[in-house]
Amino acid sequence: MRRYFLLAASISLLLGLLITAWQESRHPKPIALTPTLTSQVEYCLTCHADLAEISSSHPVNTFGCVICHGGERLALEANLAHSTMRGGKNPSDFSVVQASCGGSNCHSGTAENSRDHIQRATTSIQATYAGAIANIRYTFGVQPDLKAVLGVFAIRVPESTSAITELAAFNPTQETNPFVQAFGQNCLTCHLSALPLPGSECIRFTGCSACHTPTQFPDRTDTTQIQSNQIHKLTTAISYTQCDTCHNRGNYNLRTMTFEPRQDLPTNRLHDYYQPIAQFTSCEWMLDCVDCHTRTEAMGDGNLYSVKKDIQYLQCKTCHGTLNDLPQTRTLTDPNDLAFRLALLNPVIDLKLGDTLLITEKAEPLWNIHVLPDGTYELFGKADGQRYVFRPVKGSACLQDPVRQDSGSCHQCHSVER
Amino acid sequence: MSNRTLSRRDFLKLASAAILTASGLLGLEGLFRFLNTQTEPLPPTEFDLGLASNYPPGSRTLLPDIPALLLHAQSGYSAISLVCTHLGCSVESKPEGFACPCHGSRFDPQGNVTRGPANKPLRSLRVEVTSDNELRLYTT
Repeated sequence: MRRYFLLAASISLLLGLLITAWQESRHPKPIALTPTLTSQVEYCLTCHADLAEISSSHPVNTFGCVICHGGERLALEANLAHSTMRGGKNPSDFSVVQASCGGSNCHSGTAENSRDHIQRATTSIQATYAGAIANIRYTFGVQPDLKAVLGVFAIRVPESTSAITELAAFNPTQETNPFVQAFGQNCLTCHLSALPLPGSECIRFTGCSACHTPTQFPDRTDTTQIQSNQIHKLTTAISYTQCDTCHNRGNYNLRTMTFEPRQDLPTNRLHDYYQPIAQFTSCEWMLDCVDCHTRTEAMGDGNLYSVKKDIQYLQCKTCHGTLNDLPQTRTLTDPNDLAFRLALLNPVIDLKLGDTLLITEKAEPLWNIHVLPDGTYELFGKADGQRYVFRPVKGSACLQDPVRQDSGSCHQCHSVER
Repeated sequence: MSNRTLSRRDFLKLASAAILTASGLLGLEGLFRFLNTQTEPLPPTEFDLGLASNYPPGSRTLLPDIPALLLHAQSGYSAISLVCTHLGCSVESKPEGFACPCHGSRFDPQGNVTRGPANKPLRSLRVEVTSDNELRLYTT
């Protein structure tokens, strides 16, 4: 009996060792990478060597993977390697963005160096949703005015130069008004921390990647392609389709306090860009949103605001001027001008010292718009590189009242018919 | 010639011994591999560049694997690191100096910053001529 037991134990031991050896042999041969920035070996490329470089600003040989994504850098087993990743597939989610993308040389530097991206993005009205929350609470009599006091998360900006220095967290369950409660339950889907609405046209990441990681839509009617269409990329060449993963997707119904997706199925850009009810000019649908709207308008300026119009300030006259004035310009004389950095990140234009650009009323460079010697302007599309030439209003037969520069006034003559 | 048969007891003994031996060998092999595990080598900090005569006076030689630029001036040999002092990307040699393709920093031919975001000059690297008249470059 003892000998049978000994034989069985021996067989068990051998089997255990064989299984261990077999499992060991299944591990791929590690591919090591020692990024310049960390000088720490990581084995991520063992499985992810086929991933495209995420951007020219983040080469894998310099950054590696772990400094942004987290994870167990020496693990070869997928579950273990991914167990400590920040934000799952998306290290730019605002819950982890500081650890993933922060650092004084990266995206949480100073405003003077234009490296305060995280501060600006997390305080922007697209992140706080403060304007919508204030509007609904004011509409239903919960607060006395439209000044924002709540955001989707609490945030303090003591040095804010706007009228607001802090927002408390909006908690729908603490609201007494049923409409505000319903708003909280049904309508908090369009801020940068919210998961996207259902539907392939709404697919996006959260955080910075909501805008900067493109979703490709080869066939918008094929919902099976959704997951495979978010690509490993960070870009400032942001197509209008990325903006439209949140914008122009439908309307809020104030009676039912629900979001009602648009029912039309756009088949081309003219119909896709804006909802059927919208008025817009030719440049508003032929260009991409980022061709006109600046980084400050989209990402904020680090202050807290109540309404979109406090931060979104561009008008038609910014590019076209008025009957009395040409648009503002700046000739590049400083090699550290922000325009050079923006043009480097999205090289649709080769900027040189001495070039004259349009600038906004807040002196932000419209770096993709040149002044040509004949007094016209040339714009290069940031998303597609396409060249457009346009004229100033001054000296034209335009019938505008120079004082009235709201888009509605320009749309009276320049609106596109669909 | 004897006709020997293996008793059940002997068979069990033999089989157990054989299996234990195999297990031992397998375990030893695993132990051997464990003890011989080599950590990934750190990036090299010394580079042999070959004969000094390969780098004539006035030459500027790009050494992309280091990455560095070897200069042979009248005062002797010197080298500039081509690792950007901002975040560590490899800078590219341009007619007007060096340019970082990642974030746009620019440096003059001596490695001084002419455009940010980098705020420190490119590092100077030590170059020695050995007794065999060969060049050795040190990155630390």
